Amino acid sequence: MPRFTLSPRVIPPALIIGLVGLPVLVAIWTGLTAGGGETWDHILNNRLVPYTLTTLIVLALSAIIMFGIAVPAAWLTSLYEFPGRSFFNWALILPLAMPGYVMAYAWADLMGVAGPLQSSIREMTGWSARDYWFPNLFSAPGLAFVLASTLFPYVYITARAAFTMQSLATLEAARSLGTQPLGLFWKVGLPVALPTILGGVSLALMEAAADYGAADFLGVQTLGVGIVRSWMSFGQPDTAARLALALIFIASAFLIAARLFQGQRGSQQTSKRWLTPRRVPLRPVWGASASLVCGIILLLCFAAPVLRLIWLAVETRAVTQDLWPLLRTTLLLGAMGTIAAFIAALVFTLATKRNGALRFGARIAAAAGYAAPGVVLGLGALYLLKVSGQALSGTIAIGFLLWIYVSRFTSAGVEPLQSTLDRLPKSLDDATRSLGVRGVRQFFRVDLPLLAPGAIAAGLILFVEILKELPATLMLRPFGWDTLAVQAHAYATDERLPQATLPSLLIVLAGLIPVILLSWRLSRTERT
Amino acid sequence: MSQNPSLTAQGLSRSFSGRTVVDRADLTINSGQVTALIGPSGSGKTTLLRMLAGMETPDAGTVRSGEEILSGPHTFIPIEKRRIGLVFQDFALFPHLSVLGNVMFGLHHLPKPDRVIQADIWIERLGLAHRRDAYPHQLSGGEQQRTAIARALAPKPVAILLDEPFSGLDPAMRDQARAAALEAVRAAEIPALLVTHDAAEALVHSDQIAVIHEGRILQSDTPETIYRSPNSIAVARALGPLHEIAASSLPDAWRAQLGTGSETLHYRPEAIRIGEGVACTVTRTRLAGPTTQLDLKLSETATIVAACQPGRALAAGETVRASLNPDFVFDFSDKPL
Repeated sequence: MPRFTLSPRVIPPALIIGLVGLPVLVAIWTGLTAGGGETWDHILNNRLVPYTLTTLIVLALSAIIMFGIAVPAAWLTSLYEFPGRSFFNWALILPLAMPGYVMAYAWADLMGVAGPLQSSIREMTGWSARDYWFPNLFSAPGLAFVLASTLFPYVYITARAAFTMQSLATLEAARSLGTQPLGLFWKVGLPVALPTILGGVSLALMEAAADYGAADFLGVQTLGVGIVRSWMSFGQPDTAARLALALIFIASAFLIAARLFQGQRGSQQTSKRWLTPRRVPLRPVWGASASLVCGIILLLCFAAPVLRLIWLAVETRAVTQDLWPLLRTTLLLGAMGTIAAFIAALVFTLATKRNGALRFGARIAAAAGYAAPGVVLGLGALYLLKVSGQALSGTIAIGFLLWIYVSRFTSAGVEPLQSTLDRLPKSLDDATRSLGVRGVRQFFRVDLPLLAPGAIAAGLILFVEILKELPATLMLRPFGWDTLAVQAHAYATDERLPQATLPSLLIVLAGLIPVILLSWRLSRTERT
Repeated sequence: MSQNPSLTAQGLSRSFSGRTVVDRADLTINSGQVTALIGPSGSGKTTLLRMLAGMETPDAGTVRSGEEILSGPHTFIPIEKRRIGLVFQDFALFPHLSVLGNVMFGLHHLPKPDRVIQADIWIERLGLAHRRDAYPHQLSGGEQQRTAIARALAPKPVAILLDEPFSGLDPAMRDQARAAALEAVRAAEIPALLVTHDAAEALVHSDQIAVIHEGRILQSDTPETIYRSPNSIAVARALGPLHEIAASSLPDAWRAQLGTGSETLHYRPEAIRIGEGVACTVTRTRLAGPTTQLDLKLSETATIVAACQPGRALAAGETVRASLNPDFVFDFSDKPL
């Protein structure tokens, strides 16, 4: 049982925990209490069921695609040696830097009727555009592909960890019992790693459920799209609330699934002695095939879309007119949001170190904010605005937007801080206190310097996450406060794709920072 | 002795990024016997085992099962075709399979009903019948270990290699587990290699001991021979406590007994017997389980360490009489290392 102590010192952290959890609670509350009766039948039949079904179809398809991409790639890079392996090992994480909406713009252009793929088909065959079938990106499978290609690294990372860390001795045991390479994958590698991999898939699906930008751009009627349209275009807050409830339910189910799968890791074994990953060198033909497989994945999920965006930007010399003001608001909002979310994350990490009840509350609040898609949190904020009788403008709007950033991203900031804290010896705290240092002095003299590496990572991650954030910013920003993401989305949905490229590329560039940090951390844990 | 072929390594070498880890190792592991491979950490034990198993390609040398070459200049039979049973330090049981599933795993060449029958025989033999359907995380350390041994033996391998299989076990149950496990291994009448860093384990439980030091097999003999007649300091040290003393500081009577001209000698603590002989002063006593370790002052400059079982507690400052058992005094002055 967590120890519960009530003292004035718990009030500030408790308030912050409440602040982080409130928007989700509001969204859930309104979802549960929103109008019943005839409207409810209408919502159920015409909105809730179709939107939910579409969302589930997209999620199911992207789960299959992610699994198909990530698991073979992870198996190859963790067990075999082939040309380019160490490059692919980290490069396959790069797609994480691309927000779904940017991926969607790039592929929409690549696959469009006038795009390079269809043009070359026509040139080679002499057909006209009506003479052949070409996959349509503006569809549920298209959205699933786009989301899977940016989110599969979640699965790749967990699968790689599962394959290299856990089952090497087990794999060698299986080989000594006469198992051939392919049998190794199906009979041992995959079943042993499956819980961990499914954890990764669940996490990726939670992120996919939170998507708004790609679905809106591709015109796929997912719950995220439905929520924004119901509120903004149709003026149906009841519908929006019901849809949000369904979306929260789906997203949190995936988060819970991910945590449950992670918990199963306890039953797997590690042995330091046999951990030395001696990768089996592949014979030239197989090695070349492995390189080809990884190369194609990297091309489809990162290189081709990025290069296409760069090419578009250069070819059309599309200078986004208002780039400077855009950058200014983006950086300003990003900096303010980062500071606010960072303080919340720091409070979560430190204040909850000793107080069990606070820790429990903080975990729930952070997880709720993490699982709740930006659309849902935006909706929660809009309800709060409505209740408080305020208009969505000026300082109030910015305040609410920052609040939503804090709610959504605090857990992303807690993670690096907490992992730094976990690496420190538990006795450090007691040692500090035994030397008569506590409270604020302890924070500045011990906690903060020790947390510094994690704090830098947390700050960077928060900044980039806020910079990439689309739906909540779109819903809450006051007039004149467009960010790069908002403007790119506006241009893209306006069919002015060339103008959207420069902001999109800047977002990808910024997105690379946390990905590189992550890749460092991964290679470090793999070496130790 | 059974007629199963022995497992032989000849001139086996392997280096990693310029550092020689195993250096021209020769070793014969006879069938029906447990051969212990002992040596300090980093001495090349694991690499040698990995080369025998086919998990590592040797740079030079051969591995043979009887006359069949498993690794050689032009041959390399991969681990999955080698039919060598492995028992890992952490057992490496398949977490997704039950005890039965684990033991059946290597029997894929048999039809399913036969697989179950065969696996059950081994499960029974290792006393796991009541745990047949349990999963690895539900098993105790000893049960996991017996499952690992049953799994390795079930496909009737040509040899079995055990990599420190007992080190992870609770000391209280280790002895019993060890005896039961090795009995099953001996009954299989195949060559068995037990890698360990525990000299006592090797001395008590093996039929043959090979000492590896800096990648070389220094000596390979029965426990009795290797303990009483080590061929080098490294071998002597690998098997138990060893101390060094200048011959000139020994009492004349002891020197006459040894009849050696060497200046530096090595001795085991049990070479010194308390009771009769030369008078010396106890400077320190330490209780080490069944024996007591005594520091005895021979002269102003020389102290000797004795392990004995005195009839009563001795205190520092007491005078005792000590004699020498020359069997446990070694002269390595003409030997390398």
